[in-house]
Amino acid sequence: MANYGMAFDYKLCINCHACEVACKEENGIDLGAKNHRLWIAEDGETEGDFWNLDREKVKFMQMQCQECQDAPCLKACPNGAIYVDENGIVRLHKEKCDLTLACMKACPYDARYIDESNHVTDKCIFCADTRLARGETTTACQITCPAKLRYFGDLDDTESEISKVLRERKHFTLKTELGTKPKLFYLE
Amino acid sequence: MKIIETSRRKFLQGSIALCVYASSSLSYTLSPTKTSKKEAKDVAYLCNMCRNKCAGFARVQNNTITKLNPNHYFPKSRNMLCPKGNAGIQAIYDRDRLKYPLIRIGNRGDGRYKRVTWDEAYEYIKDKLVTIIDKEKDNRSTVAYCNGEGFNKDEYIKFFGSKLGSSNFLDEGSICLNTKLGATQLTIGDIGEMDVAGSDYLIISGANRYESLITPDSVDMIHSKQKLVVLDPRCTVTALKADEYLPLNPGTDLAFCLSMIYIAITEKLYNKKYVQEYFKDFDKLQKHIIQNNYTASWAESKTHIPAKKIEEVTREFFGAKNPLYYLGRRSVWAQNDFQLRRAMVLINALAGSVNREGGIIFGKPFVLKEEEINEPLYNASEGRFDLDGIVYGSQKGGSWLNFREKILTKKAPYPIRAMFIRKHNIMQNMPNITKTKEMLNNMDLVVVLDTMPSDTAMMADVILPECTYLEREDMVVSFNRLEPSLALRNKVVEPLYESRSMQDILKGLGKKLSKPLFEVSAKYDEDLQDSIEELGVRKAFNEGGYDFTELYKNSIEERNKKLIVSQFGMDVYNSLKTKGVWHPYIGKEKELYNDYYEYYPKEKRFYTVERKYKVNCYLSKLEKFGFDPIPTWHSHYDFKLPENSFRLITGRYITSTQTATTNNIMLKEFKEKNYVWINDKVAATLDIKEGDNLVLSSSIESVVIQAYPTNKIAPQVLWFAHGFGTSSQELTNAYGKGASDNMIIEDKFEKIYGCATMHETNITIRKL
Repeated sequence: MANYGMAFDYKLCINCHACEVACKEENGIDLGAKNHRLWIAEDGETEGDFWNLDREKVKFMQMQCQECQDAPCLKACPNGAIYVDENGIVRLHKEKCDLTLACMKACPYDARYIDESNHVTDKCIFCADTRLARGETTTACQITCPAKLRYFGDLDDTESEISKVLRERKHFTLKTELGTKPKLFYLE
Repeated sequence: MKIIETSRRKFLQGSIALCVYASSSLSYTLSPTKTSKKEAKDVAYLCNMCRNKCAGFARVQNNTITKLNPNHYFPKSRNMLCPKGNAGIQAIYDRDRLKYPLIRIGNRGDGRYKRVTWDEAYEYIKDKLVTIIDKEKDNRSTVAYCNGEGFNKDEYIKFFGSKLGSSNFLDEGSICLNTKLGATQLTIGDIGEMDVAGSDYLIISGANRYESLITPDSVDMIHSKQKLVVLDPRCTVTALKADEYLPLNPGTDLAFCLSMIYIAITEKLYNKKYVQEYFKDFDKLQKHIIQNNYTASWAESKTHIPAKKIEEVTREFFGAKNPLYYLGRRSVWAQNDFQLRRAMVLINALAGSVNREGGIIFGKPFVLKEEEINEPLYNASEGRFDLDGIVYGSQKGGSWLNFREKILTKKAPYPIRAMFIRKHNIMQNMPNITKTKEMLNNMDLVVVLDTMPSDTAMMADVILPECTYLEREDMVVSFNRLEPSLALRNKVVEPLYESRSMQDILKGLGKKLSKPLFEVSAKYDEDLQDSIEELGVRKAFNEGGYDFTELYKNSIEERNKKLIVSQFGMDVYNSLKTKGVWHPYIGKEKELYNDYYEYYPKEKRFYTVERKYKVNCYLSKLEKFGFDPIPTWHSHYDFKLPENSFRLITGRYITSTQTATTNNIMLKEFKEKNYVWINDKVAATLDIKEGDNLVLSSSIESVVIQAYPTNKIAPQVLWFAHGFGTSSQELTNAYGKGASDNMIIEDKFEKIYGCATMHETNITIRKL
């Protein structure tokens, strides 16, 4: 039992895609660019003329399920297929999913995709049925990252590295105004 | 519009809400995580998806690799695996792999082969080689051989150089970084290693360390707090992340460097104590720089970097505690490349950044003992000719373009009739592909050892399928100088199909070749004839070292064990077998944060070592050959273009290692093909829109490629990534995707190291 969350030292990202490949290999995600549990969004572009380029707006943002504590997908599912597991991770009863896609429409973070092999909607679950199930304490994306910018751990453990880093550094969540209470944090 | 050249994935809807939010509610109680028993085994291996050789653990279940993970024991790779490293699984399980020995039945290049047994392949090669070497009266150098892969290169040379007796070995150095290595060696007496982690002020010219990863440099840049200054005619990711980005005209970095030296000398910013103690001919350097008046405003006129900025950066650099001008690690750009690298070394030396923290360090690498072999002497074997007309050049790897040119223009002193090519895609890796094809078409025998049916493999008469890096053990390797370690590539799974390790391939070939080629020598070589008369055939053969399989009597596993245990002991060997790595502080790594480690304690790193050396400001040998003994700017270095022309520069995507990974089905998701970057304003005036097909023409060829207009490239410059435009139809994922840069890059080379200059081609464009 834990209350898992993730914090991103997002400014360190060089958009190398290691996390994306590691996730797909670890979790057996179908090939194809449209199938992914996580991705890096290039937010903002370089502005102006080449010789006076403004680079300030370009950000590489780590995107995936935000593990909302008030999850719109969970509420939207007509079949009650979505639940929160004992580690605080938003999960899916696969047998109850009949692809109404209500969760996908409800998700403000665009975190889900259709897993065409298993005929369900899928998203990041912190490697819950692979690495965590084997007793490992890291996610595939976190451990492979050259920048080590992903802090993964138990938010309820005050001694965990993620708890410490959230105590020490300013951070924000995405689309806070929606009140979804994400458990993914972006460190300033 | 969101664009083809950035991620094709979903974009964040709306902007990021930058509101600070407190930690989430503590609604769950603390309890230990559920554990389950591991079923898989983890094997320590070394990656081979690029030249870095990072360490990893491969998870194996039922003899199948299910995941590759980083290895936190290796100082060099800093507990990470890049996207290519992660996608290594798709390299071993690539369905297009070379699976069986093949003999050509069609024309060269058309891809028609028949499957044969290993013995049939060896027999075919033997028959051809005996005829060829007999025809050349035992001049073994008629068999050229090349290798583009770091591991096993020396073993490969031992077979074809030492045993078979050819002088003509070629490697990637002359289409890669030999000017940098040479400039460092000749200026400070060693090629050194750059301590990126220890530098507090880092200038990088063109080397795109965030899209062309080098470990540990790239990782250290992310984790260091240093100030990063990047010069580049293209705003790369490295430039995007820099504290200071200085856009400049291509090929003018040398002007910037000369101006830095000018400012350092005239403002007396340099490290006087260091210069006094170590510099040789400093007065000549000083006089030369001042006489030529390499002021900041002069450099502005060449580079397009404002003079004030040049002065500011120079002052900051020389004012920093541990400044480093990164010497680069990529292809050679222009005729002045050697001088550019040398100017960079001199800048570091002027700052005293040599043999100290944050500079070019000499360090103390582990030196592994060589396994001795008995080398036969071939009197008829002639020397190499590709360094004729080159001032220095690499005696080891030679000069590809000069070699090819001499063959094509019939200026080689003897014919090259055969070529053995191992993991070196020469049909794509050097300028002017048409010429490489012509060179290979001239050969009586072309043999390719590779894992993939590359464009070069399609030119082979015989294809020998090598296994991938995950299917073999390789000889132990010593890495790095500041935090030296040993690393071992262990075999993760058995070779698939009928592929074999290089050693097994050469062992089989050696068995077939040794005696028949000995007989050819016996026919022509008088010394050998005397030896046979004196000792008898068997003894002359054995004692003369004519047995090609000598090195492979024992398996790699046995050889490694013997070598490592005798030099370092059993504990080191065990560490290499289980952890893949050994260094004196293994197991005592200190976690700094979030699975990022410190390896050697700081006081134990080899920042400074006892060493007598000089900084050579003046190279008289260059003067003797009519080149500049001190880096000098010449008017023909100026960035000037004919009307309506563009300068082509090249580089690569983070997800590809030259042409070696473009068929990888996982990496293909990120960059399936390349696009040509063209300045957005220029594109607008030419009515070129994103995705338009453009014909790019140089003096030698044309290619068609889709356009990507962007403000991230200089107006008169075009860029597209290397590695695409594969012509082999056997590479089903890569074939027909994008354009090949070397199709249109003109084959020019500089004369100090014989390196191909990749950034000297002017291009005209036409919308299709």
